[in-house]
Amino acid sequence: MAISGTLGAALPATHRRAPFAATGPAHEGSRTALRFTGSGSEYFRIWIVNLLLILLTVGLYYPWAKVRRLQYFHRNTLLGDHGFDFHGNPWAMLRGYVLVAVLTSLYSFAGQASLTAGLVAFAIMAAVWPALFRSAQQFRLSNTSWRGMRFRFTGSLKGAYFAMGAALLPVLLLSLVTMKLGPEPGEHTSSAQLALALSPVALLMLMAPLAWWLIKRYQHGHLALGSNVTRFDVGAGAMYGVFLRFGGLMLLVGLVGAAIVGRTIYVGTASTLGVLMLVVFPIACVGVFALSQAYFAARLQNLVWNGTDSDVVRFHSALSLRATLKQTLKNWLLIALTLGLYWPFAKVAMARLRLQAVEVELLVPVDALMADAERASRDAAGDAAGDLFGIDFGL
Amino acid sequence: MTPTADRELAVDYFDGRSARAHRVALRIDDGALAIRGEAIDLRLPVSRVQWPERTRHGPRIARLPEGASLQSLDGPAWDAWARDSGLRESSVVAAQQSWRGVLVCVALLVASVAAFYVWGMPWAARAVVAMTPASAEREIGDLALRGLSEGGFLASSAIPAAEQQRWRARLDEALARAYPDAATRPVIDLHFAAGKLGANAFALPGGVVVIGDELIALVDRRDDAVIGVLAHEAGHVRHRHGLRLVVQAGLLGMLSSVVIGDFSQMMAAAPVLLGHASYSRDFEREADGQALHVLRANGLSSQGMVLLFEKLAQRSKHADDALGIALASHPADAERIARFKAEAP
Repeated sequence: MAISGTLGAALPATHRRAPFAATGPAHEGSRTALRFTGSGSEYFRIWIVNLLLILLTVGLYYPWAKVRRLQYFHRNTLLGDHGFDFHGNPWAMLRGYVLVAVLTSLYSFAGQASLTAGLVAFAIMAAVWPALFRSAQQFRLSNTSWRGMRFRFTGSLKGAYFAMGAALLPVLLLSLVTMKLGPEPGEHTSSAQLALALSPVALLMLMAPLAWWLIKRYQHGHLALGSNVTRFDVGAGAMYGVFLRFGGLMLLVGLVGAAIVGRTIYVGTASTLGVLMLVVFPIACVGVFALSQAYFAARLQNLVWNGTDSDVVRFHSALSLRATLKQTLKNWLLIALTLGLYWPFAKVAMARLRLQAVEVELLVPVDALMADAERASRDAAGDAAGDLFGIDFGL
Repeated sequence: MTPTADRELAVDYFDGRSARAHRVALRIDDGALAIRGEAIDLRLPVSRVQWPERTRHGPRIARLPEGASLQSLDGPAWDAWARDSGLRESSVVAAQQSWRGVLVCVALLVASVAAFYVWGMPWAARAVVAMTPASAEREIGDLALRGLSEGGFLASSAIPAAEQQRWRARLDEALARAYPDAATRPVIDLHFAAGKLGANAFALPGGVVVIGDELIALVDRRDDAVIGVLAHEAGHVRHRHGLRLVVQAGLLGMLSSVVIGDFSQMMAAAPVLLGHASYSRDFEREADGQALHVLRANGLSSQGMVLLFEKLAQRSKHADDALGIALASHPADAERIARFKAEAP
């Protein structure tokens, strides 16, 4: 069973070309929409079987299940006639999960042991978090490929700390200051003291769009294929625009809601008010949550991906808010009605909606795309932390 | 039977460095995969290839060493070729791709969860209870008692101190006779109370038992009834039912408490839990058993308990029912009364 030719030497020399030059005019490239061919019923079957295996192995099977899930979603995402692929090694991921499980247990035990220990544990977690975040990006990206070429994440460690710290550190410092200077519980508080106590919250609301922008700029400004790295062409102002428009929308919803409630109190009977409070109000709350989630999902996806481009590729995202809201509400309703069994279907439907709204424009012939021979670091622990704390690093 | 040409598959080959696709033909013979195309001629062992799993939708991607790959959009053709070439799929894939397999998995899932709930959790709760030191249990009971005393639920008893002492001595005597071995004998700290407790009695983890003045009055101070009630509550103490309730309600938190030896979390939650929970039928049955045992050992009739249950049933809904673990809050059903009736002369 001898191997009669190494893989590299089999190719003629013409294919070992230098990477495509970054200069030169971008010529009319093909603009292709992503296609998602996965099906909800198939993912449901995969999900059930893997869930059972996870239960029977008391959780140890989770990395294999996750690899299977990511491979299913990656491979069913087609750009042109070829799907993406996920290369993660389940054994490495298992190490990472065990490590993170141990760290999380220590963190929660520290919180129970004493307040100081809890604060120390929190400080350590906060200090380590940006490094883990960067590792997760590296892991996910370097284990993703298209047409055999692996991607890379070129963000630096310093960049990670800046992206996560620059906007949130002032909020943290202000919180500590107001905790020291603020009123003791039980004390009579003046309005000035109350304002001081609430100032971190106000600052957080002001800084949240900035924080989000910094993180997205870090993520989307360092996606690399070979020597071509993406740029993030969105300004902080545009991010504030999205958040402000969201605020305006919520204000509008609030006004309409207040008007309806006011009118019912004024005109309606006690029973209509009762119906309004007990039935309509909870449904309206759920609707508002769904609207918020759909709004940010759609607007941010469009903003962020439209602003991501490199010398070889441009992205165009046209995700409709109405379609996203409809799908979100449908998903929530059916998940509730089926006691959770609809979840795989919901996940597939949402993935299809979000992916098929994206068009990829290649600025060079596809044959000219080249990856680097070097492999980026595959630090599995970083990916484990990302999943455990629910941060989505999806492509 | 099948000509060898049928066992060839046309796919795309990628070398992992360029996005250029090369059309190749695959064939498996002698346990090796042969890849042939324009300027490509490779052989490698089948085991060195990471074969894709069979799915209904999506492309197939087989990974080769050194970053190369074989890709095809035609899944069914690939699956047929793989099957004909002798490649076998794992049972996981087989289960995923058949609805029958999935139904079996659903059944097993439901069975596992049910088994855990029916056996796993009670077993774990028992283990945690066994590992909880008596001092922690006592502290939980004291905390709960303090919580109940505030808010007027328990007021100072109107029963004179001498009579209280008499009842305490009577209870100690009855327990000593029923449990000659001091190791298995529950140690009871008996309190009397008036107030919203009303005609009721309850036990807390650690051995505190509170009996209401109204309850003693309701049974006309009958020895057999009062001792029966106290023995029932002592039964809850003996089997640590209060602690088991608290543990079952917050199993995960308890596990960590036991592991790190700090029970402050358990104690913070316990009074709230005890205030709202109720004993299961099994717990009540066990406590009834203890009551019968004590009455029998002391030659007392269980008629007193029967009369008590009948009187409690006659009372309309009262504030006595506020505490779930208290005796009168869940009046005995026919089965429990029948058990006491059977013992009565």
